[in-house]
Amino acid sequence: MKFSKPENAMLKAIISFLSTILIIYILNTSWLVNGKRIPPLGKFLDPMHGFWQNAEPENFTGQKELNLKGLHDAVTIVYDSLLIPHIFANNDDDLYLAQGYITATHRLWQMEFQTHASAGRLASILGVGPDSAILNYDRSQRRLGLVFAAQNALDSIASDPTSKRILEKYTDGVNQYIQSLSYEDLPLEYKLMDYKPEEWTQLKCGLLLKSMNQTLNMGDKDMQMTNALHLFGKEMVDILYPDRESNSDPIVDNPGGWKFDPIKFDSIPLALPDEAISISGLETPDPTIGSNNWAVSGSKTKSGSPILCNDPHLNTTLPSIWFAAQLNAPGVNTMGVTLPGVPLVIIGFNDSIAWGITNAQRDVVDWYKITYQDKSRSKYLLDDKWKDTQKQVEEIHVRDGAIFYDTVIYTTWGPVTYDETFRGQNENSNYAFRWISHDPSNEFMAFYQLNRAKNHSDYMKALDHFAAPAQNIAFASVSGDIAIRIQGKYPVRRKDEGKYVLDGSKSANGWQAFIPFDQNVMSKNPERGFVSSANQYPVDETYPYYVTATSYEAYRNRRINQVLRDASNITVKDMMKLQNDNLNLKAKEALPVFLSALDSTSFKLKENEAYQILKSWDYVNNVDSEGATYFEAWWNTVMSLTWDEMNNSTTSLSRPTSFNTVKFIQEKPDFSFFDIQQTPEKETAKEIIIKSFQLAVQDVQKWKEDKHEPARWGDYKDTFIQHLARLEPFSVHVEHGGNNSCVNASTRTHGPSWRMIVSLHKSGVNAMATYPGGQSGNPGSAHYTDLLQAWSHGEYYKLHFLKNPKQDATKMFFSTQLKPAAQ
Amino acid sequence: MKFILQVFTIATLAYVSELFLPWWSVAIAAGIIGYFIKSNANFFAGFLAIGLLWLLMALQIDNASPSHLAEKIAMIFTVTKPILMIITSLLGGIVGGLGALTGSLLRLDKNKSAYYK
Repeated sequence: MKFSKPENAMLKAIISFLSTILIIYILNTSWLVNGKRIPPLGKFLDPMHGFWQNAEPENFTGQKELNLKGLHDAVTIVYDSLLIPHIFANNDDDLYLAQGYITATHRLWQMEFQTHASAGRLASILGVGPDSAILNYDRSQRRLGLVFAAQNALDSIASDPTSKRILEKYTDGVNQYIQSLSYEDLPLEYKLMDYKPEEWTQLKCGLLLKSMNQTLNMGDKDMQMTNALHLFGKEMVDILYPDRESNSDPIVDNPGGWKFDPIKFDSIPLALPDEAISISGLETPDPTIGSNNWAVSGSKTKSGSPILCNDPHLNTTLPSIWFAAQLNAPGVNTMGVTLPGVPLVIIGFNDSIAWGITNAQRDVVDWYKITYQDKSRSKYLLDDKWKDTQKQVEEIHVRDGAIFYDTVIYTTWGPVTYDETFRGQNENSNYAFRWISHDPSNEFMAFYQLNRAKNHSDYMKALDHFAAPAQNIAFASVSGDIAIRIQGKYPVRRKDEGKYVLDGSKSANGWQAFIPFDQNVMSKNPERGFVSSANQYPVDETYPYYVTATSYEAYRNRRINQVLRDASNITVKDMMKLQNDNLNLKAKEALPVFLSALDSTSFKLKENEAYQILKSWDYVNNVDSEGATYFEAWWNTVMSLTWDEMNNSTTSLSRPTSFNTVKFIQEKPDFSFFDIQQTPEKETAKEIIIKSFQLAVQDVQKWKEDKHEPARWGDYKDTFIQHLARLEPFSVHVEHGGNNSCVNASTRTHGPSWRMIVSLHKSGVNAMATYPGGQSGNPGSAHYTDLLQAWSHGEYYKLHFLKNPKQDATKMFFSTQLKPAAQ
Repeated sequence: MKFILQVFTIATLAYVSELFLPWWSVAIAAGIIGYFIKSNANFFAGFLAIGLLWLLMALQIDNASPSHLAEKIAMIFTVTKPILMIITSLLGGIVGGLGALTGSLLRLDKNKSAYYK
């Protein structure tokens, strides 16, 4: 017998055992490989718990029955074939608890990720990012006071027992879903980035609302305007950036109809600043964000009933920004889109009315220059006295790194966003941020009442709770009324106030009063038979308050109004056509001017080809159009060559509008700005147009050669619906026409995030809708992008607006019962 | 014959244990079987059992889902779907193999034990 060494066998066993433990440890841990995070591979790839579990089988349905704590009664949720939940509850408490639970079921990761982004906490998930971009984003969010704003909103919400209750119930619903999750049930992104959802809070609902405020209500170019004033002088600034453009077709045109006593100030002429603002990396506001809504009265429709339409243009992302739902309980039956993470229906309709929103452009942001007593920044000058600052130390947790501490100083104006420690270039660059959305307000009550409104007077009462973000809220009712109201909390401004950076040492520079809500711009049943808004200038010149904003839309609004004015016997199909209208009014106005500047005898071959295409183009930005491609490329080059002064400058400046640029080309061809700074010659508008044409043709030609295909507009624009965490495989490219000056305002990354058409018949409300995404937030679900194709083709789904959970049963997909759990 | 029995029982126990425990429980399942049903290729038995179990389950899930999720995940890892399946299977196999080997090594032969006393 061979002599064996038992200690040798034992050693082998120990080595084998330790190797097993080691490999499990390695595969159960997330690692950074070349700066890229990889998930714990064993955990992630295990088919029984890992990402495979997120791949839903065909016709996957949720559980038929669930027990939730805190329910008074059973709740029935019927899902239709688009995975839209129709929630039927016996009371409000149960309704909003169920809404929280159901929304979280489909959108939890998105809800939480967006609140982390809003609160400036992304670095805790993603690390500091390349060039500290994520850390800087977080710092910026903290310094803009997003949490401060959300907390103020929350205090206001809590002061009303109804809104407090809604928020509590919704939060409870979300949390019960979170508590039910084990690793295999986690949304995919948590597994991929290896983290876990934390407890949902009411503050997070507030953070989502404020994130929407940031998108819509933070438009501002005060610093750029201050720089322009310093460089070009007041006279030139007024030419470059007029308050009001000559194209105006305002939202409400009611000359002489403003019969109220406006608030007036004893006019103290404002001191204009004369300084260059040395803040680096200022973002120029994106003029392409906007929306359309309109309501036509029964007198203009074929059926005799009003029709309301809305398409809010936002960053088109996945998971989709909206989540469609129907909410039904005694006293309420409403349907439309909800904001994941926020209770109630935000845009939609009920049995009696419909409402739609677009952003109301208005200046509700100001910057105040702060003078500190000394380097300790403990006191600042206000009305000749030294006043105490408040210091808030922001603790930014960084994944795989040390906590970053950032001291943010609060003044009477708000947080000091920019200073020497953040983007300011010297110790005198201290600017405090005054933002209307920092003020307490309770928009939940506005939506709570809109969801239940029966008529115009209910709608008006609901809007009295609405302060921010300021919106143009269109309305139509089964009883035949149409209306629009430009609702928000607006400071009463003196002329030119708020356009430039203000002196923060004088409290008189602050907002002294706000326009009373009943003096806001509004209109009911106007003679022309329709109301509409598309982010244009709000009102005629007789409105007694000074109105200013970063920019106003110049083209979509005129196209919409022209079509609606000319139309009669309007059908739902006509409205679909208008929402998807790709006529480019900007091109129609600018292209003939551009073409007439060219000299066709001196063309190179490709230029002649482009010229012929453009000459015969119908100004429609359809998917197949090559003319649109050439025009847009040309247009962009004209803008950047004309306004090269704005790009080259070391100080931040903002470009004048498209509309004004065309006006200058026609009326001031020798305008000094047409001179290209880098060339010795003195150019005029004509040379700019010719040079831009040559460059644009070269660009398009290069694109064609790279892609080996004709430059169809749909391909050239390349509409891109991007995943929120910018994960390319979870994002989608889609062929879609339009552009920012078309009614179908679809740019590469922004566009109609929800298209809705509601007919308000006395016999019942019918609605058609679509959006670029799908109801499920799970990239492993068939419902992740199932609405996208219809959206891109301009097609709509009929919404099942149910009276009871049994209606249309054959068209429904599955149902879930929520039952009260034993406490 | 014992080898086939070993592979089959490891796969079965691993499947059952994963219903209740995290992914690494496959190592424990393989270890237990490795201890009680020892063959002359214990690592390979564990490797084959878990590797096949994970591969078949991944194939089945992928086949049932119209979502193309496996392709998308493969793109994130800059590989193709078949490679992702193989990696899945391989990782499960290694953990299963080591588990089974450890289990088998922990059981010393009876006569050796007697000698030891």
